[in-house]
Amino acid sequence: MKTSDQTEDGTPALTDRQAILRILGLWHRQAPRLLIGVMLALIALCLGLVLMQASGLRLASSVLGEVVITTALLRWVGGGRVILRYAERLFAHDAMFRALADLRVWFFHSLAQGAAAGLGFRRAGDMLSRLVSDIGTLDGLYLRILVPFACACLTLPILVIQLGRQSVVLGALVGVLFACSAFLVPYLIAQSGQAEGERLGKNLAALRIGVLDLVGGLREIRAFGAEGRILSHVQADDATLLAGQMRLARRSAYANASAFLCGQAAIFLVLLAAAGAFSLHISALAAVGILFLTVASFESAGALTRAGLQAGVMGAAARRVVEVAVSTPDTTQPEAQTDAPEDTHIHLEGVKFRWAPNRPLVFDGLTLDIPAGTRVAILGPSGVGKSSLAALLLKAAAPEAGSITLGGEEISHIKADSLRRRMAWLSQATHLFDDSIRANLLLGRPDATEDDLWKALEEAAVADVVKTLPDGLDTWLGEGGIKLSGGQGRRIALARTLLTQAPILILDEPATGLDAQTEQEFLRTLNTVTKGRTVILIAHRLTGVESLDRIWRLSGGVATAAAA
Amino acid sequence: MSGDKAAIRGWTRTQSRLGRQAARPVVVFGLLSSLLGVGQAWCVATVLGHALVGLVSGGSAQTLALWPVLAFAGLALLRALIMALSDTAAAKAGIDARRRLRGEVLASILTGGPALLRKTHSGELATIAVDRIEALDGFFARWVPASVLWIAAPLLILLPVAFVQPRAALVLGLCGAAVPFGQALFGIGAAVASRNQFLAMTRLQARFLDRVKGIATIVLAGRADDETERLGQAAEELRQRTMKILRVAFLSSASIDCAMVVALVLIAIMDGKQAMALLSGGVSPALAYTLTSGLFVLLVIPEFFAPLRGLALAYQDRAHAQGAATAILDLPEAQPRPSPDGARTVNASGVMVSLEDVCFTWDPARGPALDHVSFTVPAGETLILAGPSGSGKSTIMELLLGFIQPDSGSVRFNGAPLDSIVPDSLSRMISWIGQKPVLFAGTLKDNILFARPDADEADLMAAVKAAAVDQFLPSLPDGLETRIGEGGFGLSGGQAQRIAIARAYLKNAPILLLDEPTAHLDPATEKSVFESLQRLALRRTVVLATHSAAVHMFNGRRVDLQMGRVVARQGAA
Repeated sequence: MKTSDQTEDGTPALTDRQAILRILGLWHRQAPRLLIGVMLALIALCLGLVLMQASGLRLASSVLGEVVITTALLRWVGGGRVILRYAERLFAHDAMFRALADLRVWFFHSLAQGAAAGLGFRRAGDMLSRLVSDIGTLDGLYLRILVPFACACLTLPILVIQLGRQSVVLGALVGVLFACSAFLVPYLIAQSGQAEGERLGKNLAALRIGVLDLVGGLREIRAFGAEGRILSHVQADDATLLAGQMRLARRSAYANASAFLCGQAAIFLVLLAAAGAFSLHISALAAVGILFLTVASFESAGALTRAGLQAGVMGAAARRVVEVAVSTPDTTQPEAQTDAPEDTHIHLEGVKFRWAPNRPLVFDGLTLDIPAGTRVAILGPSGVGKSSLAALLLKAAAPEAGSITLGGEEISHIKADSLRRRMAWLSQATHLFDDSIRANLLLGRPDATEDDLWKALEEAAVADVVKTLPDGLDTWLGEGGIKLSGGQGRRIALARTLLTQAPILILDEPATGLDAQTEQEFLRTLNTVTKGRTVILIAHRLTGVESLDRIWRLSGGVATAAAA
Repeated sequence: MSGDKAAIRGWTRTQSRLGRQAARPVVVFGLLSSLLGVGQAWCVATVLGHALVGLVSGGSAQTLALWPVLAFAGLALLRALIMALSDTAAAKAGIDARRRLRGEVLASILTGGPALLRKTHSGELATIAVDRIEALDGFFARWVPASVLWIAAPLLILLPVAFVQPRAALVLGLCGAAVPFGQALFGIGAAVASRNQFLAMTRLQARFLDRVKGIATIVLAGRADDETERLGQAAEELRQRTMKILRVAFLSSASIDCAMVVALVLIAIMDGKQAMALLSGGVSPALAYTLTSGLFVLLVIPEFFAPLRGLALAYQDRAHAQGAATAILDLPEAQPRPSPDGARTVNASGVMVSLEDVCFTWDPARGPALDHVSFTVPAGETLILAGPSGSGKSTIMELLLGFIQPDSGSVRFNGAPLDSIVPDSLSRMISWIGQKPVLFAGTLKDNILFARPDADEADLMAAVKAAAVDQFLPSLPDGLETRIGEGGFGLSGGQAQRIAIARAYLKNAPILLLDEPTAHLDPATEKSVFESLQRLALRRTVVLATHSAAVHMFNGRRVDLQMGRVVARQGAA
């Protein structure tokens, strides 16, 4: 990936805590449900504590010769515990899925509003898919961290009050131990795990790069006989990653053991009191009750040690998601209120542009004139900023200086939606969605009729292929349009572009990745179907079959006219 | 499909067997921990039982010794240690298994070689080797030990319980035995429910990913709002479908809760009744024993059900393994490339290359890629392969590189059939430059030295100069030490091609294969790259596949291909 993360450079760094708070803030719509989930968890927890205590007391109280805890009570508490636990899990998961759905919609919406287009131009798809899995990671935030934390917060006072009624000293001591087990140990492991977790993330990335190199470079490796060298290189990365994971596992094992020991120390204190040592006198019956309570309480605290381990991962995921979604581009000027004019004369004057302040200038005084209805080619080697030009015209990026006008109107004053209705964009990055052909085409014009669709397919010279498909227009394309050949897929995308009826077509290397013959056929098709529209063909070379009015060559940040 | 399923089951079984060997310490520690828990429960029950009896007999509990309290503390320390050891051993089992599997997968990929890339996308292969295998951690670290412990540990706990209170052991045993039935019943229910929902769920999940990847297309088509709304609907549907599965799936863990509550309540009531009956006879050893043993059993109940819970928690780890199995089984089996009998090396200076009546078919549905192709390139001469894409040029290159073997006919170097040449010797004979060289993550220098890691500084500098890499070095931040490739500095297509040429100089092989080396370059860059290649081609046997107009810069024989057949020859090819 030649263009690395550029959004991260510009935006101020976000702490994990801020990111998590931001995400919690997004969940306000689901707040009642999420709270009810926590309440149910708390009641289920209380019943669990009561059940354990009551069973112990039922047996112990028999020494008094009377039934303190009735069989009916036990049954009710037991049944209630099972049912509430089930209800709690169901409800909490439901609430979490709702919250997660909100999060996905918010993420998508923010991307679309903000850095979206620029992101799509520059950021690799796998980066985005990693972000998607980050959102999936965040489901643990509520279920594995917030719910157990709320439970522990409720357990602590119950435990302290119940024990304190017998002996204040005992109550205080056990309370401190519980706080250690439920809060201190998880906090410490989260703190110490953070640095290690970050390192693990880096090591995993290094391994991924190594493996991608190995897979992508299979030809080179075979041709140079480098199998052994590359394999040992990747295995060294692997060993680094696994060693880091082992360190983390060891640390978490110690954390688990310490949390366990806190609980055992509490039980030890209760036992001492029951045995009457150190003048911690409590009645035998009460001792049985609080012992069972203590056992059950500390058991529920164990979940928080695991939560502490995950806090770092969760924080990092939250940070990545929030960072990408909130990085606002400079293209959303509030004064952009005008609709796009009818005239489609495009003019660039002295445009200066760079993707980020710390990057070199892509354009330095670019001046370009594209009269309405002309067919122009903009040529230049890769990396000279041809795609940046498309991004500028579509308002996916904004120039530092200079002006870009459409029909005499500054495009910064034109509403992005209105502008984009006038320009249709087709590039190798144009995405064919994992959906039916029909749905893919309708993206271009939602109100198109069946006839319009077929006409567009006809123009793009792909109607015959679609006709032979068993489900016709309703054939599922599959991810990235894999069920069609490269050329056919590009033609479907072309049909979608033609369907838009936009007067300006921006074709950004539309034939890259097609073999020479298919490329030429594709470009010939373009010659015939784009009559009457402005065509801006961006390419690194011409094949000779294009019919053009003017050719511009980009180099050194400026455009020079070449013979047509 | 059923064959696939059998293969997946076989794979899972093999891995379970291998995993169980590694997980043996985890299982042993787990059993030890259960035993220690039982011991602790006995200590606690003794203390409490004694105190209760003291209550009955009216404050004569002074005889209570502190030993059970101290023993409890000792056992607790020991148990904490054992738990830490068990956690560490589990992590180690997971790590060892992943190291082994990743090694196997990488070896498979290297064995499959470039031909693998025709079937599978490189990103997918990388995902298998990295993420799929990472996801298997839980299978080895949690599922495998849990699948042994869930039977062994409860049985082990049942023994002392049966010794102390046979009646309670019977109740506990029955409740425990009910758990697998509940699990199976609801587990099957959940499986059926999830099978019904699975396709829809995968589609919905893929949809989100797909829309995010194509977000630029959506935004530039002005359809962002519609799609946001639809995404919300899809997420809502996903939630409803998932909840349908979870409603059944959670019943299986509720069945554990239920069994535990029943055991707890039954035993508390039974022992309570017995103690009441004994109480009427005053303080007796029998009363003390009933109280102590009753408390003991109650305290042991959570220990008894813990391994069953552990299994339920680890169940999803098993599903990961099945997913990974499908992907891993698709890879070719890792095996050392065969060194055929009578393998030989070929004199490495001045090699004549020839194809004799070669046929090759990638996919029978599309017809032969090469149809009876023959040509000869004498040592030190150049052959130009021309023809439109799809005419078979790349197939010839892959044959010459030994990536694939001809269906019939033979490829010969100095008369020796290619498959009789030792692979190492073969790779020493050939330099290859493709359309887009792969630049590995690392420094520019590393990337050039890739061709010959033991080259000395003088050779390296000579190659850098000969390939004109030195012309663009000043524009790089750290010269030869600039990091390139993934996450590094981006090079232009022409610059990358010069790295490939430098590699070829460094390797200094007698055969040079050039597969459309300028396909992605603009005409000016193409011309200068061709000039470098011309110099490189001197005194080597060259096969150049191209449809560039600038090919006239090379003179030599020429073969024109169309649809896998030779349609024209120039020179003595």
